[in-house]
Amino acid sequence: MKRALLLLVVATSAFAQSTRVASDFEIAQMEKQLATSRDFASQLSGRLNLGDVRMARNEPSLARDEYAKALATADRERLAARRASAMTRYAQATSYAALAQAKLGRESESFALLEESIRYTANDPETWNLYASAMTVLRRPLKAASAARNAVAIAQAAVTKSPSTRTRLDLAIYQYALAAALTDAHETAEAERVLVDVTESLRSQAFDELRRTVARDEAFEIYSSARGDAPAYVSLLNRAQLRLGTLYEQRGDAAAARTQFERVLRTRSDDVTALTALARLAPSDAERERRYAEAFDANPFSTSLVREYRRYVGTNKLAVPEATSTGSEVRRALVQLARGERRAAQQTLDALLAKHPASETLRTLRRETEVTATFAMPSATPTASELRRVLDALAQDSLTAEERSALDAATFTNLARFDDAQPGPNPGQTVLASGTIDGVPFRFPTPTAFAGTFDDAQPLTLTYRILAADDALLLEPIRVEASR
Amino acid sequence: MSAADYAKRLECGAFPPLLYSHRQRPRHHQQPPTAPVAVQERRESAALQTCVLVLFLLGLATPVFAVTSAVASTPRGTVVAHDGLIELFGKNRILWRADGLDNPAAIVTGERRVAVLDTLANEAVVIDLASGKAQRRRLPESPTAGVFLGDRLFILARDARLLVTENGTIPLAADPAFLRATNDRIYVYSRITGIVEELDGTRVTRRVRLAPFASDFEIDGRNGCLVDPRAGKIHTFALATMQPSDAIDVGAVPVDLAFTGGGTAITARTLAIADPSAKRVWLIEGVQSMGQAVARGFLRGLLGLGLYGGRASQFPTGVDRVLVRGKTWAAYDSSSRTLYRFTKSTSTVIAKELDPEAFTVTDEAIVWWQNGRLRSSK
Repeated sequence: MKRALLLLVVATSAFAQSTRVASDFEIAQMEKQLATSRDFASQLSGRLNLGDVRMARNEPSLARDEYAKALATADRERLAARRASAMTRYAQATSYAALAQAKLGRESESFALLEESIRYTANDPETWNLYASAMTVLRRPLKAASAARNAVAIAQAAVTKSPSTRTRLDLAIYQYALAAALTDAHETAEAERVLVDVTESLRSQAFDELRRTVARDEAFEIYSSARGDAPAYVSLLNRAQLRLGTLYEQRGDAAAARTQFERVLRTRSDDVTALTALARLAPSDAERERRYAEAFDANPFSTSLVREYRRYVGTNKLAVPEATSTGSEVRRALVQLARGERRAAQQTLDALLAKHPASETLRTLRRETEVTATFAMPSATPTASELRRVLDALAQDSLTAEERSALDAATFTNLARFDDAQPGPNPGQTVLASGTIDGVPFRFPTPTAFAGTFDDAQPLTLTYRILAADDALLLEPIRVEASR
Repeated sequence: MSAADYAKRLECGAFPPLLYSHRQRPRHHQQPPTAPVAVQERRESAALQTCVLVLFLLGLATPVFAVTSAVASTPRGTVVAHDGLIELFGKNRILWRADGLDNPAAIVTGERRVAVLDTLANEAVVIDLASGKAQRRRLPESPTAGVFLGDRLFILARDARLLVTENGTIPLAADPAFLRATNDRIYVYSRITGIVEELDGTRVTRRVRLAPFASDFEIDGRNGCLVDPRAGKIHTFALATMQPSDAIDVGAVPVDLAFTGGGTAITARTLAIADPSAKRVWLIEGVQSMGQAVARGFLRGLLGLGLYGGRASQFPTGVDRVLVRGKTWAAYDSSSRTLYRFTKSTSTVIAKELDPEAFTVTDEAIVWWQNGRLRSSK
């Protein structure tokens, strides 16, 4: 019901402005949790989850704020626990302070705190799991793997002693952390084996009861910091399948990879990582387009998605997307950038930034549109990209005097499509005013009559000089001929 | 770090690798015995809370917990690793200076050489004490500790599960957390399995299984002691037989242990045990053989002495590290980063805002590195 309600909200609001970003729901849930629950675990998991979601949306300054608040929360808890002589609480808070420090990129501080925490709770697999997670964040995969192995060893003993859903879920969580570390350490064969164990275990009968709870609660949210068994189960299955799919893809087993990614979409239809992977692995251009569109609607600011889509549009001629969702607008900006339409991309990105000012993805793309490349004189028959560069340079008035006089002296010839050919004042004349050259708009200073009867349905060979530019190139026509 | 670097390190956009569960974890540690809190203590606690709140509001929050310097005592003076340098301080001057490490986590001392370890970056700098000539070494994952056996250096690479010798490596049991040496033998405690391995410098010669998850492991010439914070016990074994012996109940959450002196005719060796939960260092009798115990009990009976246990030094905060050398006793609280001198009945603050490895004890003094200066307290 929750999922249906969310879809209903999306469908209603889509008409108003734009599609919701998939992680909006998680953000709202975490903000609600922070507002209503004051206990340490709620505050901490809320801050960490918000930070992770902001990071996934490439909003690093907002993410950093959340991690700093998580650190302050953990530090307060450390001091309070120590004053109360509650050493387990102290060790737990110290582990979380270490994780927050890792997310803030402070390696030495994080490491010192982790070493402090394991002095008190080396028996607690969660302490080792946090150790592994912090080391993974800090790109120390061998340290992470060692810590994760300790967590798995302790949890495995707990399953042997008391096989229950809870102990099995704990073991699967720690195995997942181990697989993440092994992947980073390029020990992919072992990582794959561990992930197969995790996913098979999670789909086994041992978790039937938990699956019923998940179905009853209609739980679908994915958190890095899950509270309770059902959210942990949903998040873990999602992440483990994503990682396993990625490993299959890396070793060239596209079919197995697709199976894993499609499984992810069965429980979370807007998972950006799965959608991006399925776009990459799509057997047809139509499916690829559709998957990319869905991925951008799920998270328009994902840097990995943006990077992949740019590679894709760089090698394929795509139409500018028409839809008005945030995802479509970002795709439009990327297509415009790929086509060299910097001014159009600027306008698209400015509109997006007004709605999403914290997005570092949008800011980075916007900065790219401002980069002034060294001006290169167009060839005698310029391409669309060359003409767009001239258009941008003239519109921004960035040419040197020498470049300007060289451009003034040059003549160019292209096939042009005219907008509206009118009969001239004298018989056998045609008046032409504006059109496009390979999609680049141009116009003449005034409508000009040319000798000859021309049909604007056919492209004409135009010889011209370039005078100026605003929204379009301003051309001085020298000659118009029917194309041969 | 620039914003761009930061974004790079945090792997934007890809699926985060993390999952943690926020269950209420079971309480593993015993709580200290409740005792009436003095009014003065309450006032101090309230003042501290106010101070923490003010600091937090000012954006300063708690002191930064990091490893930036390390100090060790050697036969030729005090070695300090700090700010990318390693220096040997003589009585009145710096004897030599060498390029150091970013995160000096520990200093291993021998008669002729020292080794400074960077656990995070997997590096060591080994220096000749007389000349200051330094040699930098890359090491397997997480060099946490080392010992010199004569002039031979052994380094424990914890996360690689290896003992690194100068000729190769020796595989160890899982999570080898502590390394000690005596009588030309090396002892490594594996925290996850609870196994102590004895090595002769080339291979594992004997093993004994004890309690896992100890927070400290120390040996004297005859016995090994493991500190078990969960159970509130010291587990012991005899080095000669590699067999478990007595387990001693100590305090609420014992964490760190030091030997304070040799046994006498009527006392076993004394142990100083830091218990942060109780805010005490417990002083107890250590291990004694059955024969010794009977003899000492007999002597006590004859002399009319009570048991040695029950003595403790109290601290305003919970100390979790204890260092003893001769008559110099020091204790350290990692949470408030405070260093204390203590005796059987008193404790005095020596320094605050100190890194956990930035101090040591010599026969005469407590020595520490702070704010770019080497300081000492006799």
